[in-house]
This record gives sequence, C-alpha cells and structure tokens, in this order.
Amino acid sequence: MFRKASFLLLIVGLGLMSCSKDPISDLSNEESLVYITNHDQSANFSQYKTFSIVDSVLIVENQRAGTSLDDIDRAMLQRLITNMQNMGYKYVSRTQNPDVGINVSWITNTYLNVVSQPLSSYYGGYWGGYGYGYPSYYSYYETSESSWLVSMLDFKNPQTTPSGKTFNVIWDAQIRGSAIGDQSLIDKMADSIFGQSEYLKIK
Amino acid sequence: MKRIIIIALFLAGVIPALAQDKPRLYTIASPFERYTHYLATVRYMGAVPMGSFKDNYIDKSSFQNASISIEWVLRNTPFSVGGEIGSTYFEKRVPRALYDSEDGTISAVQTRTVSQYPVELFANYLFLPRNSQVQPYVQVSSGASILDYTIYYGTLAAQDQKVRFKYGVGAGSRFLFKKDGTFGVDVRVKYDGTAYKFDYIDKGISSVSGSIGLFYRWW
Repeated sequence: MFRKASFLLLIVGLGLMSCSKDPISDLSNEESLVYITNHDQSANFSQYKTFSIVDSVLIVENQRAGTSLDDIDRAMLQRLITNMQNMGYKYVSRTQNPDVGINVSWITNTYLNVVSQPLSSYYGGYWGGYGYGYPSYYSYYETSESSWLVSMLDFKNPQTTPSGKTFNVIWDAQIRGSAIGDQSLIDKMADSIFGQSEYLKIK
Repeated sequence: MKRIIIIALFLAGVIPALAQDKPRLYTIASPFERYTHYLATVRYMGAVPMGSFKDNYIDKSSFQNASISIEWVLRNTPFSVGGEIGSTYFEKRVPRALYDSEDGTISAVQTRTVSQYPVELFANYLFLPRNSQVQPYVQVSSGASILDYTIYYGTLAAQDQKVRFKYGVGAGSRFLFKKDGTFGVDVRVKYDGTAYKFDYIDKGISSVSGSIGLFYRWW
C-alpha cells in the first residue's frame, strides 16, 4: 500500500515540477525593451560641439556585415539627430570635421546551443546522472538575438597607432529586447537612450 | 406449553447477551487508534514573503503554491513523521527603472521570480488522541529546495539554479469530516526558510504560508 502511495507521490511531484511558468508573457512591446548605456568616465563632453552621423545603418550578422537604409533605419537616424541637437550638439556634414561621430548598427548573433540530458526530459531532468549506462540525449536549439548598438566616437582626440588613426568610443547604447524592430517604438527607443544619459547634455 | 417456556428461557438468555454484545463492539478501539496508519494530504497555499527577501526582492504575496505530503501516524506515540514535496512561486513586476552597474546604466522593466520545489521530511506532534475528530499539531521540517532564481530585464533573463537547505516550522489542525472517518480538512500556518544567496537575495528566502488541504488516511 505504501509503495503504491509513494509512487503516486512521485508522479504528482514530477507533475508539480513540470509546470513551467512564463512570467513575461504579458509584457507589452514597449516594456520588453532594455536600454543599456555606458560612457567613458574620463570623457569631458563639454569639449564637443559638433557631430555627424552615419548615412546608413551597419548590419552585422555573426561575421558578415553590410549596410541598410530602409524606413526603420531612416527613422532611427532621424531621431538620433533630433536627440543630439536637443542635447546641444550641432549637426554638421562629415566633411566639416565633426567633433564626435554617431555610429548605428543592427547586430544579430546566432548561437547554436547544445543540452545534454541524462534521461529523457519526460522525467523532469532531475533524475539520473549516476551513469548506470543510460544513453545521453542531446538536443540542439538555435537562438538568435538582435540589438541596436549606437556609439559615439571621439573624432576630436584621435589615437595614433602604428596601424593608423583610431577613435575612442566615449558613449554607447544598446537597445535590446524582442520588440526592437517595431517601427512605432523607434522614437521612444532613441529618446530613452539619451534620456538616461544626462551627462551628454552640453547646453 | 413446556416448549414455549424453554424457548422463552432460551431467548431470555440470548437476547440480553446480544444486546450486551453490541455496545462491546464499540469498546474495541478504532484501527486508527490501534495501528500505525498512513495519512496523505494535498495542500493549496497562499504565501507572504518575509524578512530581507521581502525587503530586497519580492514583497508580493503568492497564491501559486501547492504541496503533497504522506506520513505515518505512529502507534502509541503522539507523533507522526513523513515527507512533503511541493511547489512555490513568487513573482513581482517592477515598472521601468534605471539600474546602475559596472556595465553601464540599464533601463528595463524587471520581472523578479523565484520558484522552489521543496522536498522535506517532517515530524508532527499531535496534541490530542490520534483518532480524535479535531487534531491540532505542531510541525518541524527540513530538507532541500530545488530552486530557480530568474530575473528578467525586459525579455532578457538572468538565471541561477541551485539545490539548497531549507527548514520550516508550522502549526495546524486536522478536522475529520466524520468521527472515525477517513477524509478530512487540514489547515496549517508554516514558516519556511531557505538558505540562499544570489544577486538581490542576501539572507535567504523566507516566507509564511497559510494552507488549506484535504487529507485521506488509511491503515
């Protein structure tokens, strides 16, 4: 009798464990976005007056790269210009020696993941692992994540290295989340990364 | 006539005896009194976070908790011992806010979660005779918690999975639906503590839960 009961207990227990929760299923597109900004602590932003911006968005996908300028890219570039101007920088063409340059890229990383399971996932994954000659099961899954990367380069103080001139990144912003391709949120994204970077303000 | 008298005398001897036998049946203690018997309980719980877990991580009550236990109600002692497994889940949504870290400033809507699958052994002290219809008890338990700490920034997750020591103290009471019956209701209030330290959680996970359950006993 007790054996039967303990078996029942085991079944119910595994049943409890297999209830998976999805706590973020109710997030709206806007709420799903994550803005990560960072800046060079030693940079003195008041020394910069003018800026320029790339004419199209750099697309980086794993090792390949290209450029793109469709509606969403254009909207992003426009809004970044507006925000830089609101911060007090003057928009100039790239031929007029801007103090800082804004780079915009869309980065996609694809990963191949492997999970090994000592027993089939039917058992909840917590059992086994003692190596009684059970075969190992592997499953593969591919994940891919895209993000916007906006960076500000210091054209005013180039570093000279043997291979030529390089420019320091003095500020960058990553926009991540499942809704980064939502064009209606582009303005919000651009405003947010500047909104949380008050130190950029020069006026 | 003589025969009738004999029958009457016979019945006079037998009927009182039958009548006396019946109450004697009741004097035999119930098997639940005489034997070690089994008791299984299914509980549904509401839980309130406590202490630094509440202050630093999640202060929202949870109603996504359940457990099942099985125990031996021991013969000739006021104790019962058994095992309990369950599932508890705490979650809290934090509106968009800025978080500073060495990687920069992060702006995100946070979704904080902790789920636990406690596996425990427990001992109950029973205050009343083992077959009484109302059975108050106190409980101590300890075991392991298979826990999962997942914090979401937007849709990005940081996760930590561990197995950690946990313990609990509780008090409750069982109510049999009918005297000497097999089904009943169980209510319990229990404090649970899990030793855990990660990210926002610095002094373990503690909570107080109130549960209502249904139990079945057999021998």
